[in-house]
Amino acid sequence: MYGRKGYQLVKDFASGEKGQLKPFNSKLFDETIEECDQNHHLIQSLIRKMQQEGLDVQNNRNADHYGALIHHLSLIRNKRCLMAYVYNRAEIVRDLAWRVGLELLDLPSDIQGKLTTLEKDYFKNHSVALKSYMGKVGIELNVDMVPPKDPYIKVRILDDIDEGIVLSDKTTNFARHSMHFLKRTDAEPYIARGQMKELTD
Amino acid sequence: MAGQTDPHISLFSPQEIEFMAEDELVEIVPNMNMEQLNFISGDFGRFIPQIPTKVPLWLAVALKRRGKCTFRPPGWMSVDNLTQILEAERESQSTFQALPFSYVEIARLLIDHARDDIPDMFMVRSLVEDIRDVRLHKLETNLGSFQGTSAVKISNVSAMEVNIVRPFVRRALEAFYKHDKPEADVDRDTRSSRQQREANNEPRRPLRQR
Amino acid sequence: MASNSEEGESSADYETMMSTSDVELLKRAWRNEKAAPEILQYEGALVQRAKEQIELVEETIDDYVENGIDPLVVSLYQMDLDRTQFLLRSYLRVRLLKIEKFMFHNLKSEEAERQLSEQEKVFATRCADDLAKHFEESVLLKLPENYQSVLKQSLISEVDDMVPQPHLDTFVVCKSKNFVSLNLYEEGESPETVEMERGDLYFIRYKIVKGAIESGQIDLI
Repeated sequence: MYGRKGYQLVKDFASGEKGQLKPFNSKLFDETIEECDQNHHLIQSLIRKMQQEGLDVQNNRNADHYGALIHHLSLIRNKRCLMAYVYNRAEIVRDLAWRVGLELLDLPSDIQGKLTTLEKDYFKNHSVALKSYMGKVGIELNVDMVPPKDPYIKVRILDDIDEGIVLSDKTTNFARHSMHFLKRTDAEPYIARGQMKELTD
Repeated sequence: MAGQTDPHISLFSPQEIEFMAEDELVEIVPNMNMEQLNFISGDFGRFIPQIPTKVPLWLAVALKRRGKCTFRPPGWMSVDNLTQILEAERESQSTFQALPFSYVEIARLLIDHARDDIPDMFMVRSLVEDIRDVRLHKLETNLGSFQGTSAVKISNVSAMEVNIVRPFVRRALEAFYKHDKPEADVDRDTRSSRQQREANNEPRRPLRQR
Repeated sequence: MASNSEEGESSADYETMMSTSDVELLKRAWRNEKAAPEILQYEGALVQRAKEQIELVEETIDDYVENGIDPLVVSLYQMDLDRTQFLLRSYLRVRLLKIEKFMFHNLKSEEAERQLSEQEKVFATRCADDLAKHFEESVLLKLPENYQSVLKQSLISEVDDMVPQPHLDTFVVCKSKNFVSLNLYEEGESPETVEMERGDLYFIRYKIVKGAIESGQIDLI
């Protein structure tokens, strides 16, 4: 009973993959809170007992005092576990906002399912804070997370492409086997369709 | 714990290391005419056929890929020089030879994009890999013997090597440091149940009765 | 388009006497910020200049495209622009991540608050409020009365003992721009110094080099 539930709660979190969310463990969470309540009641009854015995509660140091102290320390330990649980999950929630998207609907539904309502609210509030900052500074910060590379790539044409392809910077006809230097974004749909192939240098 | 293992904040990704290396100046020989480029990062050119000029590595690679120049490999990248360096690295257990801070990235980019401009490219590549391996191994073995608890000089270590070794050395030095200091500063704990430190032990409890 | 550094730092620094581009300064600021365990001074003037130059180049590129300038040249300007934008975004982003990590600490410490821009302060406050609210609703209001504080373990804690703080004793890697001599130990202890030559690399405790980083004599890597 002394901090046991809190320990289990933290262990449950730690057993997940780093950076990944498991579903919120309401059962353990509530049991930990329950344990805190029990500690608290026992502290109070011990204090009452000391008062009834006419002892100076603040300065008295008898077995009851130390008993109450143990309950106090257990309570605090559980509190830290509870806070750690919420805090570490909140960290992941913030990380999701950065990496996946600032709208709740950007998150895959299986992730949304692992969040409590309160966590969804926290996500929304934090996103708003981020958006507000970015708006004021005038720069989007959740894009461009990896260093930029050359936007142009070398491709070889695999099929005859009859119509002139309209590219963002030129218009050309592409004969089979010819090689060209194109913007990756322009080439991607053709590569996906197998009409072009990217060449590494 | 805070900030030390978080990849977002403290460590550089390999792409970021390469990104920083791409600002190193290298010599190219243009084969075309082009006006001076007035970039935010500096002025480069103008470009005149056959007249060598120095530009940042990223720009050099971009021009090379577009068929607009050839590279002049830096002096340190010759087979002779690299062979010497490799021998010297193997000879000494504790010192590192002087190499450009971003030698790994510079060599890799040149080999990837300008192999025809590098004499004995395969030899060069293999030498650079060997040098890298010897140096990394040296760093790892020396980890245990870092003396001194407050400052360790690491001469001639390169960017990539710093980045790889950083977390290990940190932990080793921090362990030394904690043992060396008589009283650790009062550690402000993170919200983790693993660290249980109470700020006060004898409570004067103004707990109210219910 | 390369502009000279307008840094007014007094240290007779070889590099600032040469013209250092804003991109170079931005890169340095980003690197320092990434490597330092605490948040550093906001480089407001630098950010402003970078934004202006980015906007200018964006317009220039639009003009070039309209006027049919060689796409090769345009693509090179675009790449330089992309690189600068990445640096600026990364710099601001790393700072926000640090603010998120040390939310409560940044607002409690006057020194930390001074390092933030006005907008960052607003963000930090909102962050802390959001998190505090989240804690209250998830945990604290369910706990017994004397244990409901966000910052303190309980009413009888004498200090805010639940606030994570940056670890200033973390070891960092640094390079000195000039010869500099630093005290290895705090006052009172045997004065041992470390002397760094220009270009030396050191693994060293952050606390020791903190002042030298602020004054621009040392860079973190």
